[in-house]
Amino acid sequence: MAVAEKVQTESDPAAVAARDLLFAWPGQDPVLRIPEFRIARGERLFLSGPSGSGKSTLLGLIGGVLEAGAGELTVLGTSLPELRAAQRDRFRAQHVGYIFQLFNLLPYLSVIENVVLPCRFAERRRQEALKRSPTLNDEAKRLLDDLGLGGPLLNRPVTELSIGQQQRVAAARALIGAPELLIADEPTSSLDQDVRGRFIDLLLAECESFGTAVLFVSHDASLGDHFDRQLSLAEINTVRGHH
Amino acid sequence: MSSLTTTLNLAGHSLYNRRVTAALTIASIAISVALLLGVERIREEARTSFASTISGTDLIVGARTGHLNLLLYSVFRIGNATNNVTWESFEDIRSRPEVAWSIPISLGDSHRGFRVLGTNDDYFRHYRFSRSRQLEFAAGQPFDAVFDAVLGADVAAELGYELGDEIIIAHGAGAASFAEHDDKPFTVVGILQKTGTPIDRTVHVGLAGIEAIHVDWEGGVQRPASRRSAEEVLEMELEPEEITAFLLGLKSRVAAFSLQRQINEYPGEPLLAILPGVALQQLWEMVRIVENALLAVSICVVAAGLIGMLTAILTSLNERRREMAILRAVGARPWHVLMLILSEAGLLAASGVLAGLALVILVTAAIAPWLEQQSGVFITIQPPGVFELVIAAAVIGAAVLISLWPAWRAYRNALADGLTIRV
Ligand SMILES: Nc1ncnc2c1ncn2[C@@H]1O[C@H](COP(=O)(O)OP(=O)(O)OP(=O)(O)O)[C@@H](O)[C@H]1O
Ligand SMILES: [Mg+2]
Repeated sequence: MAVAEKVQTESDPAAVAARDLLFAWPGQDPVLRIPEFRIARGERLFLSGPSGSGKSTLLGLIGGVLEAGAGELTVLGTSLPELRAAQRDRFRAQHVGYIFQLFNLLPYLSVIENVVLPCRFAERRRQEALKRSPTLNDEAKRLLDDLGLGGPLLNRPVTELSIGQQQRVAAARALIGAPELLIADEPTSSLDQDVRGRFIDLLLAECESFGTAVLFVSHDASLGDHFDRQLSLAEINTVRGHH
Repeated sequence: MSSLTTTLNLAGHSLYNRRVTAALTIASIAISVALLLGVERIREEARTSFASTISGTDLIVGARTGHLNLLLYSVFRIGNATNNVTWESFEDIRSRPEVAWSIPISLGDSHRGFRVLGTNDDYFRHYRFSRSRQLEFAAGQPFDAVFDAVLGADVAAELGYELGDEIIIAHGAGAASFAEHDDKPFTVVGILQKTGTPIDRTVHVGLAGIEAIHVDWEGGVQRPASRRSAEEVLEMELEPEEITAFLLGLKSRVAAFSLQRQINEYPGEPLLAILPGVALQQLWEMVRIVENALLAVSICVVAAGLIGMLTAILTSLNERRREMAILRAVGARPWHVLMLILSEAGLLAASGVLAGLALVILVTAAIAPWLEQQSGVFITIQPPGVFELVIAAAVIGAAVLISLWPAWRAYRNALADGLTIRV
């Protein structure tokens, strides 16, 4: 993307690099004041923090949906504050995969159609997917298969899948077209212990094969062991205690 | 894949997912569009139908009454004459040099709900309808004897008459007329081809026939004292004293205005001459108010249909904030969300318009026979024309236009919600 290329600041940029980042919701005290925060390319980072501490807000900033009040924020070498909202949207579509806590899927699309969706909005994702499989549907099936979902399940309406199965479809969707950064906002909070561990392992294995950096957020610190590095939001955020 | 196909595709799936509400919305748009098109259709058909009922006649002459009244009873068999024209006046006027032909008309009797029209041979020779088409016989020939009758196509078809059948003519125009001229039956000698005009619903007899059944009547009742049998009547001189009206064809159209003036100032009795085209014009002006009211109502119904759609979309927005957040997370821009809502409106309206077109064709096909029977308006089933296309485009355009509002709201929500799911 031409605009994104122009504002690259480093030759071998980190996946995420923030400095003196400040964010406040309109009319409120700042939620985030982050002097220094970095995720290396391909690194898998676990970020924990209590409810209301600003985890989702940070993900919104990195995803380019929210705009920082001040500071530097570089994602994959692109300085987000220098982009207009529409450009940030495009940037996210091309380079960032996203998984929510719950209800990630569009109920009116099939499993495969859900997975393929990012390729409809971002040409880079489509091309990357087609590098790996002859068609988008094949790539979707391959990803789902790697994540342990295959066969007859694929033809079921997504609303009939279990929550664990739905989250795996969401993971396949976030990963299709090899985004360089995967953001997961508590994707396991509604899964039980066993399923949770397996889901994270599968997800991380798939990210590794793509070289995708992971920013995984949860208030459940016990999940941290699966990751390259774990961090509590309190360690990087100097705003304290009004949640 | 272009963004428009993507959003249209998503909108289609999303609508299918909410198919009950979507179907109801489409139905309400379909009905409103069908109503609008139907009203316009009937309006047009009524005009062509009325305008094609009479052709080539330069003047219609009757006793002095309203212009429209004369037109309606003489040509459309609607309403009744209040007064008659004497035979002498008719003879006098028809013998003027500018007159090319004349057709006398005598109304007032009926046969099982169908009007009976007394006239003479000139009717079959000179009457023209629908851009100078002549009357043609499906069977038989014009009346010749006093008690001969020629039936319009519908009369024969609906009552199942064939040549040679005998029919009884009743006094007065009502279907439930009790005073019947049952002592003097008529024989069917001819059946006309269908014309798509009130002629199809008329029983034609000679003027002598009309006289014959009325010789022993006075003031609407038969006088037993002077009762005459059919045989006796045939012996009598059956020159009519009065007729209801007459049609005139002139040698030159230019003479119509001056002859009209002369007839209107006719010294013998108060007469009225009208130019059919001018009278039809007056008729349109009178119906135009009704037409416009109908049109306004149907436009309001279309507006109501579109507002229904707007309501459905607006109420869906809140429960679809999650959908929008998911779409944004997979890379949709707020602009896509806007397009998604507009696509949805476009799809709903387009389906509604298509269904409406189908509905109007089905309904007109279904009511055409009834309408023709009731009003003589003959509806032809046609493929959608320019008017239909304009309406279709206007309705879809209006739907997309008003959906800018919910689309804008969804856009704002998408911006405000970002990737957080709010339920
Ligand atoms: N859209 C918003 N408008 C205003 N304030 C908000 C908004 N979203 C979040 N906040 C506030 O920002 C703070 C951080 O919220 P955030 O959602 O980032 O917390 P979180 O760490 O993700 O919590 P949880 O674990 O419950 O998801 C909270 O005080 C919250 O009230
Ligand atoms: Mg959160």
